[in-house]
Amino acid sequence: MNRSLSEYLPFGKAPTVILITTLLATVYLVVNPVATPDSTLRLWTFARNHYLAYVEGTPAFEAAHPGTRLEIQLVHGDAVSRRLRAAFWADLDVPDLVEVGIDRAASFFRGPVDDVGFIDLTPYLESSGFGERIVETRLAPYRNRGRIFGIPHDVHPVMLAYRRDIFEAEGIDPTQLQTWDDFIEVGRRLTVPGQRYMIELNDAKADEFNVFLYQRGGGLFDADGNLTMDSDIALETLVWFTPLAAGPTRIGASLGSTKILTQAIETGYFVTLLCPDWRTKLLEIDVPRMEGRMALMPLPAFEPGGRRTSVRGGTMLGITKATADKDLAWAVAEHMYLDSEELAARFRETNILPPLRDAWLLPAFLEPRPYWSNQPLGKLYADVADDTPPWYTSPFVEKAVEKMGQVVAACGAYYRENGDAGLRDFARTRLGAAADEVRRHVERNPF
Amino acid sequence: MRAGELKSAVFRLQHRYAPYVFVAPFVLVFFIFMLYPLVNSLILAFYVTSGPKSQVFVGFANFVFLLQDPDFHTAIHNTVIYASCSVFLQLPLSLGLAMLLNQARLRGRNFFRLGFFSPNLVGQVFVAVLFSVIFIPKFGLLNRVLHALFEIPIDTKWLGSPELVMPALVLTSLWMYVGFNMIYFLAALQTIDVQLYEAADVDGASPWQKFLHVTVPGIRPVAVFVIVLSTIGSFQLFELPYVMLESTAGPDNAGLTIVMYLYQNGWILGDLGFASAIGWMLTLGVFVISLVQMGLTGSWKTDA
Amino acid sequence: MSATKAVVYALLVAAAMVMLTPMVWLLAASLKGPDDLFSYLFFAPTLSGYNFRQLFTEIPFLRFLMNSLFVTGVTVLVQLIFASMGGFALAKYEFRGKKPIMVLMLATMTIPAQVLMAPMYELIYRFGLVDTYMGLIIPSAVSVFGMFLFRQSLLELPDDLLQAARIDGCSELRLYWTVVLPVARPMIGAFCLISFMASWNSFLWPQIILQTQERFTLTIGLNQMVGLYSQEYGALMAGTLLAVMPVMLLFFLLQREFISGLTAGAVKG
Repeated sequence: MNRSLSEYLPFGKAPTVILITTLLATVYLVVNPVATPDSTLRLWTFARNHYLAYVEGTPAFEAAHPGTRLEIQLVHGDAVSRRLRAAFWADLDVPDLVEVGIDRAASFFRGPVDDVGFIDLTPYLESSGFGERIVETRLAPYRNRGRIFGIPHDVHPVMLAYRRDIFEAEGIDPTQLQTWDDFIEVGRRLTVPGQRYMIELNDAKADEFNVFLYQRGGGLFDADGNLTMDSDIALETLVWFTPLAAGPTRIGASLGSTKILTQAIETGYFVTLLCPDWRTKLLEIDVPRMEGRMALMPLPAFEPGGRRTSVRGGTMLGITKATADKDLAWAVAEHMYLDSEELAARFRETNILPPLRDAWLLPAFLEPRPYWSNQPLGKLYADVADDTPPWYTSPFVEKAVEKMGQVVAACGAYYRENGDAGLRDFARTRLGAAADEVRRHVERNPF
Repeated sequence: MRAGELKSAVFRLQHRYAPYVFVAPFVLVFFIFMLYPLVNSLILAFYVTSGPKSQVFVGFANFVFLLQDPDFHTAIHNTVIYASCSVFLQLPLSLGLAMLLNQARLRGRNFFRLGFFSPNLVGQVFVAVLFSVIFIPKFGLLNRVLHALFEIPIDTKWLGSPELVMPALVLTSLWMYVGFNMIYFLAALQTIDVQLYEAADVDGASPWQKFLHVTVPGIRPVAVFVIVLSTIGSFQLFELPYVMLESTAGPDNAGLTIVMYLYQNGWILGDLGFASAIGWMLTLGVFVISLVQMGLTGSWKTDA
Repeated sequence: MSATKAVVYALLVAAAMVMLTPMVWLLAASLKGPDDLFSYLFFAPTLSGYNFRQLFTEIPFLRFLMNSLFVTGVTVLVQLIFASMGGFALAKYEFRGKKPIMVLMLATMTIPAQVLMAPMYELIYRFGLVDTYMGLIIPSAVSVFGMFLFRQSLLELPDDLLQAARIDGCSELRLYWTVVLPVARPMIGAFCLISFMASWNSFLWPQIILQTQERFTLTIGLNQMVGLYSQEYGALMAGTLLAVMPVMLLFFLLQREFISGLTAGAVKG
C-alpha cells in the first residue's frame, strides 16, 4: 500500500488542525495556570460598582484580620441566582457571602424556614447594635418568619433628574413643580412628539409605573406577603398613568432599548428621568457630556404635602450556611456594609446611600457634585430617604412585576384604541385577572 | 496447533465483542449523564421543590397547573408561531435559494454558498448580541436602512414593542438558518437526475409542474429531515431571545418560549420540580410532533 | 448571458448582500471610535483600534480565547473518536441491544438540556468536576447526532471490503483504523465543523459550571460584558468579531468536506 500522507493522518486534515491548536492552547493554559487563591472567604456580587468598592475595601479587612484572604467575585446577575440555586440544590459549593437583588431575594426564602440557605443574622444585628441604626423599612424585605436573612445594601430613594439647561431655556423653574398636576401641565407644553418628551416612561413594562405606585403608598405585596397589586390605589395609579405614557397626549415615552440612553439625554429626548440614587452614577459614567447641566429635585407629590420620593431596586448581603466561620463572615459584612469609612468611600464610588442613618452625616455625603450642578448629592437623597416607602418582598415578586407590566401594556394598547372610554373598567378587569394569576402561583406553594 | 487455535479464538472473540466496545463510550456516558439525571428529573416532576431537602410530593398537580397556566399558553403560542415560521417561511426561502444556486452552474457558486452559510457559523449567542445592537431604534442598522428605503418610522422599537418582538426573532433566525438549510436542499437538488427534467420538458411540462413532479419527490427525504430538524430546534429556542431581550421574556412576554418558561420557573422562581414537569411536557410534545411528521411523509418505511 | 441567468444572478447577489450586511456591519462597528458607533452607518472615515484596546484591557480576552480553544478542541476530538466508533458499530454490525440503542439515541436528541441541568450539576459536583474543564468536556463526550451521521455514511461501506480484510486477519480495531476512517473522511471533516460550532458557541452549561473567571469561555465571557459594561458595545462588537473568526476559518478550510459530508448523510435518507 502506498504510504501517502493520509496514512499518517488517519482522521484527515481537520482533526489534525484542531489537534494542533488544542495542543497550543493547552501549552498556554499550562504555562498560565489558574491561580488558586487560598481564600478563606468568598463573596459574590453582581454589580460592577459594588465589586470595585469591595475590592478596594479588602486590604483594610485583611489587615484587621491577619491570615485571612477575602476573595470577591463578580458574577453576572442572572448567573448569581442560577448558580446559587444550583449550589443550594446540590447542597454544596456555595460562597460564604452573596449579594442578591431585592427582587429575587425572597425566592430563596421559599421553602421550610430551616432549609433556607442563609443564616439568621438577628443575633449579629442585636449584639452589634446595628439593628437599630439601619433604616427599618429596608430591613423588612429580608425578614422572613421571624428571621433576618440579609442586611440591606441601600435605601434607593428616587428623585427626579432633569436637564437644568433645557428648563432654563424655556424659562421654567422646575423646583416650583411641587405636584404631579403642575408637572403634567408643563409637560404637555414641553413635549414635542418624536423629538422631546417630558419624562422617560415605559408603556410596556412596569418599571416606571411601580415607582409611582409605591410613591402613592401602594405596592405589589404588603408586609405579610399578601398580594396587593389589585388594590384601589393600584387601579387609580394605573388610570392616572396610562394617558401619560401612551396615546396622543402622552408626556413620556421609552426608548425601546437600554443602549441609546446616552444619545437620548444628550439630544434632550428626555427632559427628566426617574432617578434612584444608583442611577446617578450610571448617568455620570454613561452621559459624561452633560456634566454641569443635570440636577436633581424631589419627585412632585400626588397631593400638596404628600410624599416626594419613591423606591426602586435594592440589594441584600446574606451569609450562607455553608460558611465555615460565621463570625468571620459577619466581620466582612460589618466591614463592607457598616463601617463608616468604607461607606464614605463607597458613596463616592457608587452614589448609593447606605441604610445607616448616622452615616448620612459624614462629610462625603455633603460634597457638592459638579456633574449635578454642584448640588450636594448625598444630602439631597438623605433628605428624602426617611420617606422612602417600604418595598415588601415575596418569592413571587418577579412574577407580580411581570404581570403588572403586562397590565400596563394592555392598558396602553386599550387607551390608544379607545381613549378614556371604559379605561377604568378595563383596567380593573385586567388588574384583577393579573392578580389572580399571581395568586395561583402563591397558592401552589405548599411550604 | 494450540497456539493457532488460541489465536483464532481470540480473533473470533474480538470480532464478536468489538461492536460492544465501540458503543461502550456512548452507553457509559448515556447511563451516567443522561439516564440518571433523566430519571431524577422524572421523579422531580411530581414534586414541588425549593432546595435539596425541601420537597413536597404533589402528584400530578404540577401538570394540572401547567396546563391551566396562561403563561404556559403564551409560551406555547409563541413557540408554535416561531416553529411555523421556521418551517413555512424559512424553508421555502432556503429551497428557493438552493434552486437559484443550482442553476448558476459556474463560478461564484462556492462564494455564494459560503456567503449564505456564514451567518450560521456565528452561533445563537453571538448572533443575538449582534442583532440586539442592529435592532436599536433610531440609530441601529436596520431602522436606518428601512427608513431610508421604505419610510418606516425610524424609532420603531423592535425589541421594545410586544407586537414586534416575534417578528424580530423570526427575522434574526431567518438570517441565521436560511443558509444552513439551503445547503441541504442544494445537495439534494444535485442528486436529481437532469434527464428527468429533460423528459418533463419533452412532455411539455410547465415550470410549476416540473417543480411539483420532479423536484419535490427528488428532495423528499432531505426535506423531511430538514423539516423535522427545524421543528425540533425551534421548539428548543432559548438562547436567541434570552440574550436579545437581555435575560427577560420581553415586553408583555412577547418573547416567551417554552424553554424560557421552564428556565424562569426552575431557575428564577426556584421550583425545579415544576421545571422538570415542563421539560417533560416539552419532550413529549416534540416527540409526538416528530413522529407525526415522519409518519405523514412515510419515512418510516425507508429507514434502513 | 441569457435573461433568466441575469435574473438569477441578480437575485442571488441581492440575497447575498442582505445576508452579509450584518457581518460587514460587525466589522465596521469593531473599527469605529467611541463616538462614531451611531454616527456613521458603516465605516467611519478613520479606522480606530479603540474597541480592540478596550476589549483586551477590560476583559481577559486572550484567556477566554484559549479556554474556548482548549475545551472545544478536546471536546471535538473526543466526540470524533466515540461517534465514529459508535456509528461504525451501528452501521456494520448486528448485535444484541442495537435496536434499543438506536431508539434511545433518538429519544435523547429530543430532550431539552434545561430539564437535566440541576441533577447533572449535582452529579458533576459529586465527581469533583465543578469549575473544571473536564466538567464541560465529559458530559458532552458522546455526540448522538455524530453517531447518526457516521452511521449514515458508513452504511454504504461495502461489506465485502470488510470481509476481505477480516479474512486477511485484520482485527476489528485495525479495520476501523485502516478501512473505515479513510472512507469516512468527508464525514469526519463535516462532523469536526459541526462539533466545533456546537462546542464553541455553547453557552448555558458553561455558564453554570464555570465559576472562576479565568476559566470562562468566550461565549460567557463576552455575554458577561453585556451585563457589566452596559454601554461598551464597541468592544462587544470587536469581541464578537474575534470570537467568530476561528469558526469562519475552519469552515473556509473545510467547506468541501463539510458540505459533502453533511448532506451525504441526509440525502441518502
